[in-house]
Amino acid sequence: MTQAKQHAISINLNKCTGCVHCLTACPTQAIRIRDGKARVIDRQCIDCGECIRHCPRDAIESHTTSFSDLQRFAYKVAIPATALYGQFGNSVLPYEILYALRKIGFDHVYDLSAICELYIAAVEEYLTEHAQPRPVIASTCPVVVRLIQRRFPALSELIVPFEPPREIGAKILRSTLPAALKLKPEDIGIIHITPCPAKLVSINHPATMKKSFLDGAVSIRDIYPPILDILRKKDDTAIMRHLFPDSSMSGLGIGWSISGGETRSLPKFRTVAVSGVQDTIHVLDQVESGLLRDVDYLECMVCPDGCVGGPLSIENRFLAKSRILHLAKKAGDKSVIDRSEIRTMYRENFLSFQHPLEPQPSAPLDADPAEAIRKAGLRDEILQRLPGKDCGFCGAPYCATLADDIVRGLADIRDCPMTWKETP
Amino acid sequence: MTGDKAFRTEFSVKGREFSRAGDVSCRIKNLLKDIGIDAGTVRRLAIAAFEAEMNVIMYARQAVISLAVTPEKVSIIVDDEGPGIPDINLAMKEGFSTATREMRELGFGAGMGLPNIRKNSDVFHLTSEPGQGTRLEITVCLDGSRP
Ligand code: SF4
Ligand code: SF4
Repeated sequence: MTQAKQHAISINLNKCTGCVHCLTACPTQAIRIRDGKARVIDRQCIDCGECIRHCPRDAIESHTTSFSDLQRFAYKVAIPATALYGQFGNSVLPYEILYALRKIGFDHVYDLSAICELYIAAVEEYLTEHAQPRPVIASTCPVVVRLIQRRFPALSELIVPFEPPREIGAKILRSTLPAALKLKPEDIGIIHITPCPAKLVSINHPATMKKSFLDGAVSIRDIYPPILDILRKKDDTAIMRHLFPDSSMSGLGIGWSISGGETRSLPKFRTVAVSGVQDTIHVLDQVESGLLRDVDYLECMVCPDGCVGGPLSIENRFLAKSRILHLAKKAGDKSVIDRSEIRTMYRENFLSFQHPLEPQPSAPLDADPAEAIRKAGLRDEILQRLPGKDCGFCGAPYCATLADDIVRGLADIRDCPMTWKETP
Repeated sequence: MTGDKAFRTEFSVKGREFSRAGDVSCRIKNLLKDIGIDAGTVRRLAIAAFEAEMNVIMYARQAVISLAVTPEKVSIIVDDEGPGIPDINLAMKEGFSTATREMRELGFGAGMGLPNIRKNSDVFHLTSEPGQGTRLEITVCLDGSRP
């Protein structure tokens, strides 16, 4: 039995023992223990997957697309995140992985490295054209986008208004495949292969367009074993090379799954790359305080070291990172895109958001300002009465969170055992 | 205006504690968000509070930063013990800074502090007693109401 699917994750109540590991791991204090089980507060969850990493009982499940869901499509296309290239042994090359996806049952497999290069070339155009405001923030990590909408709403306008590479890739395919294959658009399924659960949320509830160009996201965790089986067989080398020639891969795009992958392609600008959820929150706090105005482009990835550290990847992120670095080094700065084409796409707004990113500030203590002010004072008083041990026994991660819940009417001071000796 | 309608709180800041730079302004910012102040106003106040906090860390021994919020306005008062400002008019000039080279290399003290605080507040009041300290009072009006 699982909770409803508003989000990328849900708690399997049969497995959850109500321990407190996920409580403090959640960067937005979105988890509480109620009746001995963890619960997610929908409006606070940003789908980062930190809780998945910290749950010792595997009770936090992510919603991604399963293979059986794909059978409804007559023609299936896979667009793997470039992080997939770092998941297998040192000797396994991207084309072998792409070919393995074909063997598993995808009719077409599309490498994203070239689209990553395209995206950053468009960012370069954008930065050149818009001298202000600064810093412009990357739109690639969907968790960062959500974090900004909710926790840093005033920074929404700083996000570069381009869809991320996975959506651009899918859009290109959508605009060409149906005619080329003489198929109805709905019979073609375009599926992302993802290291994080947040992608499915960005597909089901896109922040800047009516409908995503993607039809689903299969997790690297799920697709890893069948790929491995095919890789073990090691056949068809000649066909593989022919289908996915090295020459079609972008040296600039292949390193995107590690932190700094984007900024590497912007040598003319002042850039900063940050990874990990706490460091991301910290740097966004600084941007909100008016710092980093001399920085042109800020790349934030909430996973440690970037997408190679995604919660649904398999390989140890240090090894994955080393492999990606190796691939990127081998490929050098090889560019596979045509600059004039990018300029045309940029002018025609092919990459642009359909509508601006809407800030979604979290709910104030009360809708009435005077009442919110009163509750802020009350919250301080309550916090004074709490022991300050942050033990988690009450079901909230910190004493301050319990005080906040109490003034919002979501908890009671007697939830804290250490106040029991007080007269009620 | 009256005491009982306001939310008040105080923070202390120590000079030279560069490692905690931004902590207090960040807490102020989160409080303002909880009270439901609109994002644009929060950002102005966050910038002003951060600059004020940095001034304390760079130049003063210590300070108390008090925050008061009513439905009409937000005020922040920074009372520091420190060298004070001998020439306030000069200090208010954009680009004027007494930051040491070490501070500048760390990215602090480009001389934007005080003018930036004034730019982001509706009422700005600065007094100083050289050798004793400085008192900075800023107010931002809510609902676009101007004093
Ligand atoms: S996905 Fe992230 S934000 Fe959501 S509950 Fe888990 S840790 Fe918290
Ligand atoms: S850093 Fe990458 S893997 Fe992690 S949440 Fe963001 S997009 Fe997903």
